[in-house]
Amino acid sequence: MSVRRRELLIGGAALGAGALASRVPGGASAGAAEAGTTPAPSLSEAIPFEGPHQAGVLEKRPGRAIVASFDVIAGSRGELADGLRTISERARALTAGYDALFGPTGEGPTPDSGIVGPRVDPDGLTLTIGLGASLFDGRYGLAGRRPAGLKPMPTFPDDALVEAECHGDVLLQLCANTEETLLHALRDISRETRGVLGPRWKIEGFLPSAQRESGAGRNLLGFKDGTSNPDVANAKTMAELVWTGSEEPAWARGGTYAAVRIIRNRVEFWDRVSLSEQELMIGRDKAKGAPLGKDRELADPDYASDPDGKRIPLDAHIRLARPRTPQSEGSRILRRGYNYSRGYDEADQLDMGLIFVAFQRNLETQFEAVQKRLEGEPLVDYVVPIGGGYFFVPPGARGSQDWVGSALFV
Amino acid sequence: MRAKADRFFVGPRAGLVAALLTVLLGATVAGCGGGGGAGSSTTAAAPASKLADRVLVSGANPAVKPADLARPIARYKRHVAAALGTMEGDVRRLQGAVDAGDLAAARQAWLDADASYESIGAAYGAFGALDARINGETAGLPGGAGSPDFTGLHRIELALFGRGSVADAGPYVPRLAADVRALRRKIPSLRIEPLEYVLRGHEVFEGALDLQLSGRASPWSSDALVALDANLRGTRVVIGTLRPLIDPREPLLIGRIDRSLDVLARTLRGLAGPGGTMPRWDRLPAAEKTLVSGQTAAAAEELAYVPEVVDPRPLVPERSAIGAVQAE
Repeated sequence: MSVRRRELLIGGAALGAGALASRVPGGASAGAAEAGTTPAPSLSEAIPFEGPHQAGVLEKRPGRAIVASFDVIAGSRGELADGLRTISERARALTAGYDALFGPTGEGPTPDSGIVGPRVDPDGLTLTIGLGASLFDGRYGLAGRRPAGLKPMPTFPDDALVEAECHGDVLLQLCANTEETLLHALRDISRETRGVLGPRWKIEGFLPSAQRESGAGRNLLGFKDGTSNPDVANAKTMAELVWTGSEEPAWARGGTYAAVRIIRNRVEFWDRVSLSEQELMIGRDKAKGAPLGKDRELADPDYASDPDGKRIPLDAHIRLARPRTPQSEGSRILRRGYNYSRGYDEADQLDMGLIFVAFQRNLETQFEAVQKRLEGEPLVDYVVPIGGGYFFVPPGARGSQDWVGSALFV
Repeated sequence: MRAKADRFFVGPRAGLVAALLTVLLGATVAGCGGGGGAGSSTTAAAPASKLADRVLVSGANPAVKPADLARPIARYKRHVAAALGTMEGDVRRLQGAVDAGDLAAARQAWLDADASYESIGAAYGAFGALDARINGETAGLPGGAGSPDFTGLHRIELALFGRGSVADAGPYVPRLAADVRALRRKIPSLRIEPLEYVLRGHEVFEGALDLQLSGRASPWSSDALVALDANLRGTRVVIGTLRPLIDPREPLLIGRIDRSLDVLARTLRGLAGPGGTMPRWDRLPAAEKTLVSGQTAAAAEELAYVPEVVDPRPLVPERSAIGAVQAE
């Protein structure tokens, strides 16, 4: 195929994606991604902020993300409400796009940082707001309003948590096609809410280029990750696995729970391990991503034919994480993570790994059930959870005057 | 929503910009001999509903002239002279404690002297070389703390807090006393430029965020909270002198600035121990650091509007006010 023709096709696909941009874009599942060409990211791609559910959960992951946690420092309940309302107002504008206001001539503060130029394009931006268990203490009169399934993230046996990178009152997950769109949005929101949200931790993530290969992207261990995600286009599955329902108080239905984990990968150690040993720990073929002994990434690992783990060891990561038994299927989670990389540690080793983000209806029967099965797996020598937290992601803003979290303040 | 604008106000800038645009694009433009931006107002597609929501005042007061700042600056110079007088007393006590070999008293006198100097941050730019002699830090000095040019307050801080040595501070205290005295004598003839002065309204806080709360300014005493408290008092003086100019132009701005400074002052009072002693910044729990930093930055966001409102230069609307999108 000539380059010119290829550009045309990609251009056409991008237009299609823009036109289709809706809360649940078709083809967001791994299957569709494997089957077809991935559309080129488009600056004009706009994902609506408003809706019954928040954006940034079911949408296909764009190439960049910032996950930032804050502690509320507002002096009163009213100030907290103002801050949350402001986040939604800004998110609504930023995800729709607008002409930047650089400000009048003079020495006054510039209204817009200007880092994306005179036109603020939506660029596939989603801004997802989460609330941590610590917000529901006595400070702002929310003690009685805590969502039924929200609790602080516990310390699991294989964790090496750093307190400064854990928990938080409010979580912002920003995802977009480009880094500058994320930084523009973060600066915009931060300056508007500086007296309300005190930064706690922040981490920036990226995905491998979608043009590189089809199927799930690779993590920094070099393996395809996210292959067996539930199908986001299936509303029934999403209602079962992701969105909260009657188990929650009325205001919290249609939300979801985010389990965020900053998982450091000991990549230099990992690279010193043989391919076969790596594959046996993961349970997949490194090149193709197929379950060991199978030839396609999406092939069923068929554990029934391998009860003793001769093909895929019983303690392989994918087998423990999702044994594909009738009892385990209800514990499936919607993973939406990003890779991260940021400098060196005290021993001059690369500090990189995975910003694990999983959405689920119930933290205990889903994320924690998976986590429990993974305890002590061979892979734990190479992956070290160091941070993160649990957050409730409230239902979306309904209409142009509503804001995420408003129901907490009526 | 208009009625709620004040209560739900968090980010000030959209409203103020809208108000300023009104000024810029409205009546005063004619007086300034240009209408370059007027036609572009309709293209300001930045969340227009939000701007409309938050227009605070469409001030039509005449622009501030340099002469309007003469009285505020004169008042501020009296504050500077008084603070330097206090600082001379602090340094005398410091000298006495050093002579007596009393480390605890020397440290307290040093903290007082540092606070006195930090309360006049709005004038540093006018002090010239004396500022570097009095308040110079190791940053930028070849050899850092070992540099022969490192001699002022912070060299004495290194002696008293870093080395716990009164003797090590000895050689530097008389020189500091002489520099402070020289500076105080200079104040009556000191020239503070009007533009410089209005910018200091928020730059003192920018300095606090950059140097104090980062722990860089006072690495041995970690007295960032002492300095910030003094910065806050000094900023209140600056704002107090400008109040008559700000009030008729942006009546809501003064209220927001006062509130943001009050909130910070209350937090600082809450952190102070018996007798008003501030804890060391490097020993403050992370949550309290986050609170102080957040409230300082939030105040800086409010204070940043001061220069715009009292800018003594004539409006020059030849550049587009709206983005860079308009072809000139």
